[in-house]
Amino acid sequence: MERVKQYFLQFRRSPAFTGFVLFVIAIILNVIIQGPSSFFNPKSINTLFMSNTPFILIAMAQSLLLISGTLDISIGIQLALVNVIVIMIPQELGVPVYVGWIFGIMAAVTVSILCGVGSSIMRLPSMLVGYAMIFIIRGVNILIMNVPQGSVPKVLYKAYDSLIGGLIPVSLLVIIGVFLLCVIIMRTRFGKHIYAVGGHPRNAFAAGINPVSVQMKAFILKGFIVGVAGICLTLMTASGNPLQGEDYGLRSLSACILGGLGFGGWGSVSSGIFGAGFFVIIQNTVYYFFTLLYKLIPGFTVTSYWQNMVSDVILLLGLLMTIVTAKAQRETLKKGLIKQFKRGEKYGNK
Amino acid sequence: MFELQGINKHFDAVVALENASLTITPGKITALLGSNGSGKSTMVKVLAGLVKPDSGEILFDGQPVHINAGIDSRKLGIGTAFQDLSLVPTMTIMDNMVLGVEPVTKLGLVDRKKALNEVSDLLDRFHIRCNPFDFVQTLAPSTQSMLEIAKAVLMKPRLLLLDEVTASLHSEEIDTLFHILKQLKAEGVAMVYVTHRMQEIFEICDDVNIMRSGKTVIGAPVGELTLDDIVFHMTGQRPDTENKEHETEVSHIENQELVLDVEHISIVPKVKDISFKAYKGEIVGIGGLEGQGQPEFIRALIGDLKFECDSITYLGKKIHFNSPADAVKSGIGFISGERNKEAMFPERTISENIFAGDAAKGKLFSYLFSKQVRKFAQGAVDKYDIKIGQLKNPASSLSGGNQQKLVVARWISMNPSLLLLDDPTKGVDIHSRRDIHNILHKCAEEGMTIIISASDTEELLDISDRIYVFYEGMVSAELSGKNKNAERIVAAMVGMTSQSLLEKEVE
Amino acid sequence: METNKMFSFSSRIKYFIRSSPARMALILSAVLFLVTISVRPSALNSAAIGSIILLASLLSISAAGQTIVLIGGGMDFSVGSVMSAAAILTTYIMNGKDGSFLKVLVLALGMGAIIGLCNGLCVVKVGLPPMIVTMAISNVVTRLQYVFTQGSPGGYASPSFVASVINRIGGVIPYIVFYVLIIFPLVYFLLHRSRFGNQVYMIGSNPVASRLNGVKVNKIVVMTYVISGVLSAFAGMLGAAYIGTARCQVFDDYAFTSLVAVIVGGTSFSGGIGTFAGTIAGSLLMVQLSNMLTTLALAQPIRNILNGLIVLLLLILYNRSKSVRQ
Repeated sequence: MERVKQYFLQFRRSPAFTGFVLFVIAIILNVIIQGPSSFFNPKSINTLFMSNTPFILIAMAQSLLLISGTLDISIGIQLALVNVIVIMIPQELGVPVYVGWIFGIMAAVTVSILCGVGSSIMRLPSMLVGYAMIFIIRGVNILIMNVPQGSVPKVLYKAYDSLIGGLIPVSLLVIIGVFLLCVIIMRTRFGKHIYAVGGHPRNAFAAGINPVSVQMKAFILKGFIVGVAGICLTLMTASGNPLQGEDYGLRSLSACILGGLGFGGWGSVSSGIFGAGFFVIIQNTVYYFFTLLYKLIPGFTVTSYWQNMVSDVILLLGLLMTIVTAKAQRETLKKGLIKQFKRGEKYGNK
Repeated sequence: MFELQGINKHFDAVVALENASLTITPGKITALLGSNGSGKSTMVKVLAGLVKPDSGEILFDGQPVHINAGIDSRKLGIGTAFQDLSLVPTMTIMDNMVLGVEPVTKLGLVDRKKALNEVSDLLDRFHIRCNPFDFVQTLAPSTQSMLEIAKAVLMKPRLLLLDEVTASLHSEEIDTLFHILKQLKAEGVAMVYVTHRMQEIFEICDDVNIMRSGKTVIGAPVGELTLDDIVFHMTGQRPDTENKEHETEVSHIENQELVLDVEHISIVPKVKDISFKAYKGEIVGIGGLEGQGQPEFIRALIGDLKFECDSITYLGKKIHFNSPADAVKSGIGFISGERNKEAMFPERTISENIFAGDAAKGKLFSYLFSKQVRKFAQGAVDKYDIKIGQLKNPASSLSGGNQQKLVVARWISMNPSLLLLDDPTKGVDIHSRRDIHNILHKCAEEGMTIIISASDTEELLDISDRIYVFYEGMVSAELSGKNKNAERIVAAMVGMTSQSLLEKEVE
Repeated sequence: METNKMFSFSSRIKYFIRSSPARMALILSAVLFLVTISVRPSALNSAAIGSIILLASLLSISAAGQTIVLIGGGMDFSVGSVMSAAAILTTYIMNGKDGSFLKVLVLALGMGAIIGLCNGLCVVKVGLPPMIVTMAISNVVTRLQYVFTQGSPGGYASPSFVASVINRIGGVIPYIVFYVLIIFPLVYFLLHRSRFGNQVYMIGSNPVASRLNGVKVNKIVVMTYVISGVLSAFAGMLGAAYIGTARCQVFDDYAFTSLVAVIVGGTSFSGGIGTFAGTIAGSLLMVQLSNMLTTLALAQPIRNILNGLIVLLLLILYNRSKSVRQ
């Protein structure tokens, strides 16, 4: 019991807590507006997870990069890259689907390494590296698949769309799996070094850590997760599309920051999950909110444009809210300082 | 046995170390002393692998070694507690303590239990009452200093370097630290202890090594030196603490108007209680060793730091500036010694840099003729004899001394009524320094009030009408008239003053 | 600093590039143009050249505000969305008829100013990176476009306004250059002949020193974002005249292209350095690059890849930050 309490206290002070709070608020709102029976219906939960798993995974990958002090906005279009490879390789080369999956993951890792070379080794501004890579990957995608096409074996996408034991969505299992992988990695030396390099590169270097090597490894790990996310996307859409997912790049960035990540050393993969979760749930909530309005106010119709706008305004407010939580943390620091300072007064200095 | 011999190091034109030497014996604590600019920090950095000497030898047990990077230093068994802390603020205590040398389980994961045990034991030993899962940036500076030391001790070093670690510690923390140092002594660890505090040297150190201006002046057992000897070796002056009758040239000051009156200001964490007066046309010097609160005091006056005080009266009005913009508008100017960080705009041209003061103060959208700016800049260049190539060269092309003259010119042309300077001649060549002094004297004659903080005693004496000496965040002496001499300054700098000197107030 | 640079060939090239990025951008534009017309001589015609000038002018006006913001150490990601919004507003109000230019001007610039104010306040008060803040606000602005027009914006820019933008002098030079000629002295004054500009450069070069010198840093930063909003809105109006009718998100790519144009024109990503002349040169280069890729009639994917590679190359030439090991 004591252990649990300690874990909770630790969690409360961690940055992911702010994201967690926002996420819980969003869920509560959603449950209220959609109605508990409708929300907690396994089928609707399944759809929720199935369609948003790629985004959540992308946010997790982005959070890894943010912690290590860098970022990648081309992460969105990399999804499409994996998607087209996973479709085209079995289609054109006649190999089993799983081979396509392996190549998809390898492609994501390769592209991530290239981004890492630009950002970490050549120290170009990571945002602009991502921008350039978006163009390059776009072009490559179309070269691989010129028009949207392709299919996925029914057994596979049905499996992805199903519930284990009638309750747990397969897509959720994927998220949990990747999350566990991240947790394990965070428990290694490398995991600790990611935080050091992101938090204070100079002191990390003084402690004998090589920042470039750590960031490159972070890029490789991120590439792997993007590969998995791309496979999920493929299973979800059951087809290929070379030009999708581009906006996931910038949105994943906002999601991570909503979840409490700063730029470097502060935050965790959970921040990414909570932030992305907040995004997803808010959109869901807004949709049901408007549905509710239609029912309550006769003759009230509004296009989906209003929904999107309300979602985005809420997201903007969520981002602005992070300052409130950051201020709270800063206040406790200042109070602690003054307390210590005054304590010194009591004993005086010799 | 660790020896450094014949170490030379220069940074550009500045000689930091000249034939410096240091002998450290296992099981003994060697104090490394020196005034500002003596080279003692550089010596520590050489051992820690952050600075590579130009020449000289480092011998461990008679064998020459090369320390090219931090990792070499660690491999040799050298643990360093840095003055400016090598902790990662966004990580927990536990993660910081084992950073780089985390214990691993057979599966390759970090052995949390082992690390937690080690760190908990360490925290207990150091009486640090914190949760190992606390984030370092939420802790008070004194706790962070203790952690920095703890981190160095954890690696079980053969040689422990402590660079001014007691600067922000409370007395009970210092007691704990000394207890641990004595334990390490018994275990045969060699230690280098850099400090300003004389009482600590006598309390815990076995040997003393004093440096001045980059050279090693003397290395001897602590028992062979008196406090006067130590201060003499550090500064070249014999300290004077005799409680002479306080003769003040009160008369000439009393007739002048009081420009600045500070009553009991305190600034977390460096300034405890300072009261300060400055009169019109005066040059008031602030002396003291590094880090005794001088920069913080000055920055509070200009509105850059939050502070608490009973009152500050400026030109007869009570003030409390919230930002430097307000202070500048009220006629206060600030010249920093940290040119690169706080005063220069390196990519901008010389004339733009000179104009920067006017640019910050005048009408925002009025048209500036390039001729007008150039004339202004050229006028300043001529008046203050700033050696430049061309007005349109970037300011980074100037030498340190000329850069500083530029900053002085920038501010004086704004005609402030109160000019604050924080160690402005640090790293400046002697000619520029003299020029700046002349300029300041002239301005004071014309009625400007000047407050200047300087680390060099001679400079203080040269330029000030009255001198305050800061020690440990309080005024340890206020000197004028006959009391304004090097020996008294030096005594006050190291806290060697009797209580009565502290209480005297000129009314 | 210059003495030991002039030895090896590569360091001479580096010096040539770094000492005047604007000049470099112009040279590269010329090179790309020569490549284009040598591969496809038919590209050397007055319509094409006029088109390049028109697009480059439009881009440089949209990048004018971005230049100021970047010099001050920030970044404005909302350039594209503000442009699109202004374009939609323009076509809607003008509705193909003359006479409402002044009304549109006031409304569009006002809208740009308000959005810029939001950007600026959020950046200074919230403490999040400007990229994230301006991007989030830009999202909202985009959504507002959809809500306002319900997805199908209507109207056209008025004929005389359109003419004032796209009609050509001597069949070559479009009138839009006159707009540039108005904007240029304004931006030049702001950046180089006013205390405001001095302060912006100071803040970008050394924010600590600026503050200690008495600069009201927050106020000035907010003003840079307001100016950027206004200029982006103005660019949006001109853009509406160029394309005639607007659709939602029509000018969104300008967010990124303005950024690249500014950087390629010599403005540093970290602030303190840059000129509007450089931005104009950079805009010319970007338009020329796009034009070359189109004219060479390369397949769309190849164009994309080349675009990305060239941007990377330009980044390597212009922008490297310091390493941890010093």
